[in-house]
Amino acid sequence: MSVVSKMKTTSDIALKKVGLALVVLGLCGAFIRLGFWQLDRAADLKELQKPYIEQPLIPLTDVATPSTNLSDSAINRIVTFSGRYVAQFDAPGQRDRSGVVGTWLVGLLEVNGGGAILVVRSDQKSELPKGEVDVEGRLLVRQFEDRADKSGDQLSRLDPSLLVGTYDLPVFDGYVVARSEIVDSKVLTLPRVKVDPARPSVPGYYWQHISYVVIWWLMALVVLFLPLYGRRRKSEAKNEEEPI
Amino acid sequence: MNGVIKRYRVMAFAAGIMSLLLWFVELPVVYLLDNPDLEAKVKWIPFVHGYVYAFYVLAAIHFTARARFTIKRMILFILAGTLPVASFIAERRVMREFPLT
Repeated sequence: MSVVSKMKTTSDIALKKVGLALVVLGLCGAFIRLGFWQLDRAADLKELQKPYIEQPLIPLTDVATPSTNLSDSAINRIVTFSGRYVAQFDAPGQRDRSGVVGTWLVGLLEVNGGGAILVVRSDQKSELPKGEVDVEGRLLVRQFEDRADKSGDQLSRLDPSLLVGTYDLPVFDGYVVARSEIVDSKVLTLPRVKVDPARPSVPGYYWQHISYVVIWWLMALVVLFLPLYGRRRKSEAKNEEEPI
Repeated sequence: MNGVIKRYRVMAFAAGIMSLLLWFVELPVVYLLDNPDLEAKVKWIPFVHGYVYAFYVLAAIHFTARARFTIKRMILFILAGTLPVASFIAERRVMREFPLT
């Protein structure tokens, strides 16, 4: 073998080793990362099991502005605002805290200071109040899945984007489930819809995610072990071939 | 070697059964049926499957290393635990190649 071809073979082997090391490290890193991802999900699930801590009452315009997405800190806040109702809709297929599915009464309220917001008023039929209304209720994130067909006075889901184009008003993202409405200093006595605070949903169970953490990190160890195993097997095979 | 093979066989059976339960019971109940009561009854399956698979991986590595299999075969044995019937097939092959003495 010439010196040049010998050098080429040596550099090929070195290159191969470096490539293998990079693959092993890459795979190992990916498995460790996946383990941490599952660990985060397990932690999120544990967090969800804790009771929701209610925040103090706040004016709607302090936490939200029309035509912008709701911030995480605004979701679930009990907000207050005043304005006039401009329209009312039915929202069928809505589920309350106790799992009862029904048609909710939803008003579009033009907020003093600009913008309009969807307000879930009740699960019973009622006339739209005239004049200025003070509303207090929980601000929730808009719905993404249709529960019914959309028509003139029916909303397929609680999503203000359905009304864009129909009303010449900038709308607030999300919707409010009213717990009280005051008209001319008189509290409207309507049966109110009861909902739980919105919580992010994490699929699966705590110990299931922990088991996946174990598997991913075990896989990382396996990836580190395989090249060592391959080397040991090679040297064993070499020993067996060599005559005694 | 007999102890290693027995351990592998037990884990291959357990992993195979848990994979069958996961693929054909738990996943259809969670993603095809809208039945929270039934969902609650099968919620143990995914995490038992998770731990059983981890032990299956250890048993598979131990066995394939002792049997001096190639890396490729070792990887295939490890992956066999993820599919419902693959671990049963792997276990049958082991029994053909390494009959217990």
